[in-house]
Amino acid sequence: MSVRQVGIVGVGHTRFGRFEGPFVEMLSQAAVEALDDAGIRTGEGHGVDQVFVATMGASMLNRQSGVASALVDTLNLRPAMAETVENGPASGASAVKLGYMAIASGMCDVVLVVGGEMMRTVSGWEATDFVATMLHPEAEYNYGLTLPTFAGMFTRLYMEKYGVEEKDLAIVSVKDHQNAMHNPVAHIQLVPDLYSITEDEDARIINPYVAEPLHVYDVCPVSDGAAAVVLCAMEAAGRFRKKPVRIAGVGQATDTHVVAERAVSTDLLAVRLAAQRAYRMAGLKPADIDVAELHDAFTILEIAESEEVGFFPRGEGHLAARRGDTRVGGKIPINTSGGLKAKGHPLGATGVSQIVELVRQLRGEAGGRQVEGAKAGLAVNFGGFGNNVVATILAREE
Amino acid sequence: MEPKMYAYQCTRCGELHHPRHFVCRKCGNRDFAQVPLEGEAALVTHTRVYNLPEGYMKPFLIFGIARFSNGLCVSGQLEADHPESGMKLKATVGVVKEGVGRDYYGFIFKGAD
Ligand SMILES: [Zn+2]
Repeated sequence: MSVRQVGIVGVGHTRFGRFEGPFVEMLSQAAVEALDDAGIRTGEGHGVDQVFVATMGASMLNRQSGVASALVDTLNLRPAMAETVENGPASGASAVKLGYMAIASGMCDVVLVVGGEMMRTVSGWEATDFVATMLHPEAEYNYGLTLPTFAGMFTRLYMEKYGVEEKDLAIVSVKDHQNAMHNPVAHIQLVPDLYSITEDEDARIINPYVAEPLHVYDVCPVSDGAAAVVLCAMEAAGRFRKKPVRIAGVGQATDTHVVAERAVSTDLLAVRLAAQRAYRMAGLKPADIDVAELHDAFTILEIAESEEVGFFPRGEGHLAARRGDTRVGGKIPINTSGGLKAKGHPLGATGVSQIVELVRQLRGEAGGRQVEGAKAGLAVNFGGFGNNVVATILAREE
Repeated sequence: MEPKMYAYQCTRCGELHHPRHFVCRKCGNRDFAQVPLEGEAALVTHTRVYNLPEGYMKPFLIFGIARFSNGLCVSGQLEADHPESGMKLKATVGVVKEGVGRDYYGFIFKGAD
């Protein structure tokens, strides 16, 4: 492939949680932080050719469409090109992928990608219902099926096939919350006690079932938030304040819309294929990855994805979590940001937020959660119940 | 009239689909014959869900994936006191959601006990 290399030279991230103010203002905060980080001065001569905004629900939750056009205007980046990208909860990584393509093709030199979601404007149930609209309308959504429902059914299959226990899921959750304590932009800043949420006599009260066998501490919270990255052609990277982190590989794959139709019910084929494609493009293998952000909207997904991307053999992800392999300092630290579980999961922001975390890790800017000497990172952004998945590999430039 | 659920059988290769697809997953054909999807099924997996949509006046609902004897797997609601993977179920059709001005029908699997 004769394409230009693409790097990331700026990152920005709002504190996930509750945002008071208009949707586009939240996006703007992340955007200017990323521009500042790259050393791009706003105003005349900004040099941004294209803006991509990732959001799944702006039109449904906030009753706003044409968000990218609005963002370009309020940031006064006109007449930059602008598009809003919707690919469910994988919108963020899709927008980064499109930014990559825009630069690799030679069409653009500098692209701003912003992902954001404002979900706490509606009730918890309305948010769950809105997310469920990406399920199959007749075969799934109309039954009252939701994403937690599918995650619960998937977890049971995994437990019966591989011997995963509820405590293994809690171990993943506690690890994510511990990481989030070192991430100032994470939504949840508390660490549950493993014994209290699993074995204590009050465990069923403080950590009740949501969708059996998944408990409250297995499910991501509902968050507002935005994240942004500035991409540039590597040949133009010298213009910017920060040394670029290279986008080494991007892979994406789809799977059946209807979950029940999958040939092997415990497979997340789109995760496997997306990761394989990203590895091939990057010329790397799973053992080359030093740090990973895996889409853990439910704790079981972190375990299953850690197997599908090749870190651990099938059915052994939970054993690796038990051993501590996925903690900072372990063999392959996963979700150093706190993951969706503790950092929060504002849908459109998530894929961009994962990339922001990898950039911070590869730059050595991750503070108390830093993976020493990290050279390559993998992000998996998971849409639907795994029917559209984007994998991205970033590499530190020597 | 009693509502029914259907599988969609490719008229060229015989592959069964549920729900309806526009193109056959096996051979690319676009014509399907509607065949009733009913009878016995086996429970593949299930979950008891506590955070229910508005309009469901119950403390929880059980959902499951069931496999029909023809091999098709579908999601549905489940009515069983002690659901267990592999158990025999009877497929019934009933209201799975009460909508505004219309009801939605779908599979409600019942424990054969
Ligand atoms: Zn066919």
